[in-house]
Amino acid sequence: MTRVLEADVCVVGAGAGGAVVAAELAEGGARVVLLEQGPAHDPDGFSARPPEMMAKLYRDAGQTATLGKPPILLPLGRGLGGTTLVNSGTCFRTPAHVLERWSREFELELDEPTLAPCFERVEAALSVAEVDPGLAGANAAVARRGAERLGWSHGYLRRNARGCVGSGVCAFGCPTSAKQHTGITYVPRARAAGAQLLTGADVRRVLTRGGRVVGVLARVGGERRASLEVRAPSVVLACGTIHTPVLLARSGVADASGQLGRNLALHPATAAFALMEEDVNMARGVPQSFYVDEFAGEGIMFEGVAGPPAYAAMSLPLSGEEHRRAMASYRSLAQFGLMVSDASRGVVRSLGGRPLIRYDLCDADLAKFRHGLVRLRELFLAAGAREVYLPLPPGVEPERAGARDLKLMAFHPLGTARADGRPGRGVTDGELAVRGVRGLYLADGSVVPSALGVNPQLTIMALATRLAFNLLERTLPAPARTDNEELPCPS
Amino acid sequence: MSAGFEFFLHAAPWPQRLGMRVLMALARRPRGAALLERSPLAHQTATSLLGMSRYDDPARARELGWDATAVAVRGRELRRVEGRP
Repeated sequence: MTRVLEADVCVVGAGAGGAVVAAELAEGGARVVLLEQGPAHDPDGFSARPPEMMAKLYRDAGQTATLGKPPILLPLGRGLGGTTLVNSGTCFRTPAHVLERWSREFELELDEPTLAPCFERVEAALSVAEVDPGLAGANAAVARRGAERLGWSHGYLRRNARGCVGSGVCAFGCPTSAKQHTGITYVPRARAAGAQLLTGADVRRVLTRGGRVVGVLARVGGERRASLEVRAPSVVLACGTIHTPVLLARSGVADASGQLGRNLALHPATAAFALMEEDVNMARGVPQSFYVDEFAGEGIMFEGVAGPPAYAAMSLPLSGEEHRRAMASYRSLAQFGLMVSDASRGVVRSLGGRPLIRYDLCDADLAKFRHGLVRLRELFLAAGAREVYLPLPPGVEPERAGARDLKLMAFHPLGTARADGRPGRGVTDGELAVRGVRGLYLADGSVVPSALGVNPQLTIMALATRLAFNLLERTLPAPARTDNEELPCPS
Repeated sequence: MSAGFEFFLHAAPWPQRLGMRVLMALARRPRGAALLERSPLAHQTATSLLGMSRYDDPARARELGWDATAVAVRGRELRRVEGRP
């Protein structure tokens, strides 16, 4: 038997994009049904133990991976909040040079003045503020010391946190609910405004008739596999960059642009460790509190990463006895990450209903990693490191590293249904409407047309805000001023 | 192996789960470990997995200054006191 719900708008996915759209639409008076595939996580169950929390909070226990040269681990959050539940909380606005590129290459009318009210609204909703240096931790102090000695540009990051005490486990479920992920900010707002929320709803198809969307069909109820049909004249998909193109393909949505599933950017990343003289105790403080953007113009960004011993043991790029010896000095280990604004592009396809991700690192990005690793080692040595552990096999120097030598992860998939203002060129148009299906919109990283070079959650949320107000046919209200000061963009 | 680590393995898709179990089994045996040393990537992955399992043990983590239970309890208490979700 199929249960039927009716709504003005059905939103699929309660992460960075979907939760924002649902809340803004519901508060604007629309009847909204919000469907989320994952569960609502109870923070009482957040144990601060990485393996257990990866199993609970991440899709496939964080083991989503790309095929290609090299394979890249791509952990994705699952549940109310989506990946905002497990990210580091770093908030950057879309850099101006990226917006200029979008205007030039994709004819998107998304300049800074257009997006500023959206950013301001999101930042106010998420309590975005610069990390208090007192909470940044000794791991950040190491990077700061190195950057200052080298004269490199750096700063404390802005984050969506309120009442943070530096528990050190942002990526494994914030035990204090200080991180203002969308599951505890926008989703409650949506519900308070009357949106109907269903978790455990696995949307199988987008329903269309005569070239227009009429709703979605989902499986609900876990093992019992009941069916749910949501009838709505507007549908917003926000399943994430990896799963939105799979759902569109499975639904038989025509893609005249030929771009569906293509143009995948990831911001591939890696991290190095250093053995310091001092007590670092990297799990104390905000894990991602500090950045070094000296090489942002070259597409290389350094950002803090850190975690408890089980996390460090998993990430430490050493083997056997060397690994054991380094872990015995865990309290003196520092770690910092290197993220590349990638020119490489991958593809997401559907295989048996699951995404198959192909991504090969291009030579230009390999060169960025080589250069970045040299610079990261320089940063640690300038900070006084006794030893630096680069994520490379024994005996491989960064200048000679090949793609297969790199140990990469990625956290920012973007672009698989990219927006393009030119007729017939993108899966979505400049208003994030899917071309060829009236009433169908996208609101996640899939619409972001290129790598950003910075963490994308704020960009996705600002675009979602803009979409919601366009659907309501209303102008964004002037933002209430907050304590947001000057906003950081990489140089 | 901790219950949490077993839970982690169980939640992974079957190809990854199988791969991780094989790598860990090899790393625990002298001949298997010697075999792994021929492949730096496999050796490092196996070491990472064994390391994550080893340091997920609360007693071992406490020796390094990390008390997950205390962090979780403090979080619950702060949420209760400050009325957070």
